[in-house]
Amino acid sequence: MSLYLFQALNGIGLGMIYFLISVGLTIIFGLLNFVNFAHGAYYLLGSYLCFTLVSLTGNFWLALVVAPVAVAMLAWVTEKTLIRRAYHLPHTFHILITLGIALIIQELSIAVWGPIGKTVAVPEALSGVFRMGDFFYPKYRLFVILFTAVIAVGLWLLLERTRFGALVRAGSEDAETVSLLGTHIHKLFALTFALGVGLAGLAGVLAAPIRGVHPFIGPEVLGLAFVVVVIGGMGSFSGALVGGLLVGLVQSMMTTIWPQGASLMIYGAMAVVILLRPYGLFGRA
Amino acid sequence: MQVTTWKKLLSVAVLSATTAVCSAEEVTIYGVKSLSGSFASYGKFADMGSKLAVEEYGDLLGSPVKYEAIDTEGNAGKAVRKVQEAISQDGALFFNGATLSSTALAIGKEVDKAGGVFMTPAGADELTGTDCNMATFRWSVPTYGAIHETVEPLIKAHPEWKRWYTITPQYVFGEALLENAKEVFAAQGVEHVGNSYHSLQEQEFSGYLTNAMAAKPDVLLLLNFGGQSSNALRQAVNFGLKNEMKILVAWSSGLDQLQELGPDVAEGVYFGAQYWHTVDTPMNNELVKRVREAYDMAPNYPMAADYIGTKVILDAIAKAGSTDGAAVAKALEGSVYQGPTGEETVRAADHQVLKDYYLLEGKAASEMQDEDDFAEIISSGESFPDESSLDCTRS
Repeated sequence: MSLYLFQALNGIGLGMIYFLISVGLTIIFGLLNFVNFAHGAYYLLGSYLCFTLVSLTGNFWLALVVAPVAVAMLAWVTEKTLIRRAYHLPHTFHILITLGIALIIQELSIAVWGPIGKTVAVPEALSGVFRMGDFFYPKYRLFVILFTAVIAVGLWLLLERTRFGALVRAGSEDAETVSLLGTHIHKLFALTFALGVGLAGLAGVLAAPIRGVHPFIGPEVLGLAFVVVVIGGMGSFSGALVGGLLVGLVQSMMTTIWPQGASLMIYGAMAVVILLRPYGLFGRA
Repeated sequence: MQVTTWKKLLSVAVLSATTAVCSAEEVTIYGVKSLSGSFASYGKFADMGSKLAVEEYGDLLGSPVKYEAIDTEGNAGKAVRKVQEAISQDGALFFNGATLSSTALAIGKEVDKAGGVFMTPAGADELTGTDCNMATFRWSVPTYGAIHETVEPLIKAHPEWKRWYTITPQYVFGEALLENAKEVFAAQGVEHVGNSYHSLQEQEFSGYLTNAMAAKPDVLLLLNFGGQSSNALRQAVNFGLKNEMKILVAWSSGLDQLQELGPDVAEGVYFGAQYWHTVDTPMNNELVKRVREAYDMAPNYPMAADYIGTKVILDAIAKAGSTDGAAVAKALEGSVYQGPTGEETVRAADHQVLKDYYLLEGKAASEMQDEDDFAEIISSGESFPDESSLDCTRS
């Protein structure tokens, strides 16, 4: 297998991880018109909960279920007590409020888990690599790709083919009318916010064995998620998928073509997309 | 008449007491630490090291030593502004710390302008090279020693490891490590089969590791630092590279990094380190005991570096008998003291502390004797460029 072909495969794998990191952000923005700058912090929380659960039980699969649900429940409480009061405010207020939440989560994480980073071991069943000629690909990364693909299909079905999805989409267009038709719109929005944040927590769990856990990982994740979402189009589910894959492919291919510019070219790709399509590949004006 | 005499006596007594108090020069050490931001994990331990050194010092020049922490926030610009404020508003002269090379270089220039003394553990060769000055002293071994004390011993012990691949962050520190590594490869007759540069922000290394796989090296040499080297190593292990080649992290941060990685990742990996808590020297044994008493943990590199950095400044002030910056710098130059790594010497020519650098090998979890026993020292030694070849042209 050639180096470039393997880099392309690796890029697709990276892209799926980036999709998972950004899809929650785009769902919350697209359906609630809310800018969540605490997205990276919720990812961080998912990673730390994963670390704690794996340390206590040795069971990664338990962490994969419990940690995202716990993060989503926290998001539910936050939405009910704080976030819902800010939906009607301009985006600058969203940014200020969620930045505050992010700082609280980050500093609490340092207080609870300490300033030194943590490593989460790859589950035993997925340790090892697949050999492809001269190259090796970790079984765990392959699992993440397949798992994320299943999540992507499930999310699409939930948002496009279920009553819940239809109500959320309708509520994002005209909350008052949906409310008048007998739907508890606040509960619907709280569920949507919890879903988006829970996905950030899930991304944190899945990425923990690959990237480790560090109290300052939140801003890095947030930046990456915004790049993907801007490329794909703010609020677009398909955009997050295509944007994630594009970023992953650009980054992976550039590490061979121009290694020192691999990170830079992610932002280069974003700049090109914005120039050609100011609202992103799948965004709407 | 008697009352007047008593008044005079009282006046003389008060005047004498006041003079005595004024003649006691108050010493304040300013700890320049990244207490928040991306490098806070390092700064927190560095701060603990400096505080411990000050607390146990007691009185100096007739009054207790004071300690003030300056939070650099991991940002060179903010660090310089805060140091300038401390100099102009508080008359600060004695500084220790700075995690990042860029921060240390900038602070060194400010302290030099103020006529003070600055001891840093930062990595950039320029600190004691082209940008050296009267104020700046550096405890850590520069890139020359870090490469010579890690790459050379491994090549000598394993001449069959002929093909080396490097992954390098593209900034002055990484470039300096790479340059030194290339010189050692050439001198030892091993083949440098490739290098991947990456940016200072990079955290995803799978692409660079793929480049390394394609080159089929015997050894993968990681020349990055901190979180980047942890992620690069973690991902290299995920990709199964540990089974295909040897891995050397030339400049690890020591115990705190190995605590983060854990034995599953670190086992069989080689690490270069400025300090290791099991080094058997009188001063280190004492430091380990004191840190255990004070913080209930083993000292790590940032803690040890800033402990000794603070202590040698205080010792130099005591030796100089004054808080005059120039006199203290003069007292530091050429001084020989018992440090954590054994006998350490402050070279007068460039203000570099001459000390050991360590090559460690990660242990398996089953071999660990205690919770901090992540690695064993397999070699150590001093490697510094000759005085005749120094880039420091300070008069």
